Amino acid sequence: GQTNLKSPQDVQVYVVNTNFTLRWNYTGNDTSVTFSAEYQWFEDFDSNAAEWQKLPGCQNVTGTECDVSSAITKYYNTNHVRVRAERREEVSPWSSIFEMIPYYIAQIGPPGIQLQSTNGVIKIKVSPPEANQVRKMWVNHLSFKYNLVIWENSSSAEFRTQRIFPTAIIDDLAPDTTYCLKVQATLRLMMKDGLFSPVRCVKTTRKVNNLHCATNVSVHALNMKFHLHWNNQYQQHMSYNVQYLIGYLKELHDDYSLKWLNVPGCENITDTQCNFSSVITTTGFYYLRVQAMSEYNKSCLSNEVKIEPLVTNEIGPPGVKVDISDLLLHIQISPPGGSESEFMRDNYDLSYRILYWKNSSNNEEEIQVKEIKQTIGTVSDLTPATWYCVKVQAFTEVYNKSSHYSKEECIKTPEGKILPLIILVTFVTALIAVLIVATPLGFVLYHAYNKIKYVFFPSCQPPLNMEGFGRHFFSPYLPATEEQIENCSVIEPIITEEVNKIDFKDYKHSKQSNRDSGNYSNDDDNSGSKVSEETLEKEIV
Amino acid sequence: MNAFGLIQFGLILLCTTTISSLRCNHLPLQQRKVIENSLQLLDKMGKKFPQQCLREKMSFRFPEQVLKPRQKETVKVAIEEIFQHIFSIFSKNLTLAAWDGTALEQFQNGLYQQIEQLEACVIKKQTHYFQSKEVNRLKLKKYFQKIDCFLKDKQHSLCSWEISRAEMRRCLQLIDKVIRKL
Repeated sequence: GQTNLKSPQDVQVYVVNTNFTLRWNYTGNDTSVTFSAEYQWFEDFDSNAAEWQKLPGCQNVTGTECDVSSAITKYYNTNHVRVRAERREEVSPWSSIFEMIPYYIAQIGPPGIQLQSTNGVIKIKVSPPEANQVRKMWVNHLSFKYNLVIWENSSSAEFRTQRIFPTAIIDDLAPDTTYCLKVQATLRLMMKDGLFSPVRCVKTTRKVNNLHCATNVSVHALNMKFHLHWNNQYQQHMSYNVQYLIGYLKELHDDYSLKWLNVPGCENITDTQCNFSSVITTTGFYYLRVQAMSEYNKSCLSNEVKIEPLVTNEIGPPGVKVDISDLLLHIQISPPGGSESEFMRDNYDLSYRILYWKNSSNNEEEIQVKEIKQTIGTVSDLTPATWYCVKVQAFTEVYNKSSHYSKEECIKTPEGKILPLIILVTFVTALIAVLIVATPLGFVLYHAYNKIKYVFFPSCQPPLNMEGFGRHFFSPYLPATEEQIENCSVIEPIITEEVNKIDFKDYKHSKQSNRDSGNYSNDDDNSGSKVSEETLEKEIV
Repeated sequence: MNAFGLIQFGLILLCTTTISSLRCNHLPLQQRKVIENSLQLLDKMGKKFPQQCLREKMSFRFPEQVLKPRQKETVKVAIEEIFQHIFSIFSKNLTLAAWDGTALEQFQNGLYQQIEQLEACVIKKQTHYFQSKEVNRLKLKKYFQKIDCFLKDKQHSLCSWEISRAEMRRCLQLIDKVIRKL
């Protein structure tokens, strides 16, 4: 029914890790007033079909806050909470709804710290918030990064903030001094900084200087060949052991000091350098250190060096070969790295910068630049009869790295004057060649033409007394037809016999001249001659 | 966020702006390489999927819409989150899985380096991502929570690990496809 009770105001939920504290304000008359809360959560972000439930741990409470950790368990869902005041039978209207997604409003609790002061340094071991809890808000405890704030106890002024690993050693401290520190866990992606741990103070011890240690540990890498160099301050002979650690192990909360491995080929060496390419892969990062051992079996560990292979590595110069054809300069680039060249090109996305210039006596020539991705480049627009020099540099834009320049290669462009001469010579040669070929060809053709004309269109006519045979196709080459030869015999007196004899002789002559005597015909081509005989017969008919 | 949080946020933004602008160019190329390598290493660390584990196979339903938002930056952040989750999963108790330790270490190492570098770069552009309360991020969290619970329920048995490995492989292949299109 009617109620004069005011509803609670400023309802808020305060979350640290998985501890939920519901708080509100009450401005009305708070004598014998109790409060109760309800909550609901939504499975999906769109659905509305959730029911209000009583909030355990917050029923009939007298204060203005309650612990509701047991009830709120859906950290990634939208939760609604509301509170109302109650007095005996009266109830106030429900307060405005407080809406939250626990994961977003939760605060990161303080981490745990273990300290150890030895040899002038402070060793810190951090345990993550919610370390031994079953139910966690921050499931990925490995995504925490830790910030250390440290200051000298005496001078309350400056403090130093630095990022540390879960197992860290602070070594740049003054000996015999008390330092105070506190640590917080942060989630960088969420832009969340957690609550600080309680402040702990510790006094540093005296530092025992160890001269045995290797100093100035540095890395030089060229074309994916990695070398570690260091110095030996100690006069006597030392033997060294180079060790490496797979980078991410520092991030785990386990003790990584046991996980250092010896670099093969750099165990028990006396040289102050080591080639550790064999342990490096491109995706990943590493730490390296040098363990120095003296004759008295005293060992000392150097500082650690962090290696990010693709960032640490330097690119060597490429190889260059130049070639010239007419006025085109061909540049052939062999990528740096030798056996690793394919690998480097792949991981660095290499490009090449070509510098070329005219190498004349006065050094005022402008250097031209051309950038290409392939390993073959061409330069045109060259002036003839000039020396050109070329040098090439490999670079990667994405890693912002470039190699040294290759050796200079110089080449001279061909003479310009030669060109017209070449043209003239070529022309004359071609002309002569044509003449040499054309003249005999002309002769041959002419001859052939004459022969053909002689054969097919003869200019001479047969003599008159052979008129009878004029109808026939008279040719010395074509076989004559076999003609019916009449053997005529004239029976006449003796006087006329002579005349007949003469006739016979004439006949014989004519017979001879008519027949194919066999001198001009082809013996082997009898079929051909027979065909022509037929055509002749047809003509006659 | 309260006032103190805002101040902190402002300070972080100020400090990381200069840093992130210098270091981010090589990330897309490196990201592609990490995914390629990770897929190879996932295959290398174990043998073929054992037949007897097929019975226990579960559908986890990876929220693919996470990789399809309008902005490139949001996808990159989503990928970074996925890397973090995968890294976290493979840091758990793996004794029963009996996989190749070297391949596993290289796998984790590659993922972790990428996460580190992405974090430094992404912080600057993180603002609108965080404030818009991306629903997708929560979907990712729920997906990986399912896998986590599955592993716990099966007490990190060989089959549960093999099923998780196959699922992670699928996940990385999806990311690979998306990255190539970016």
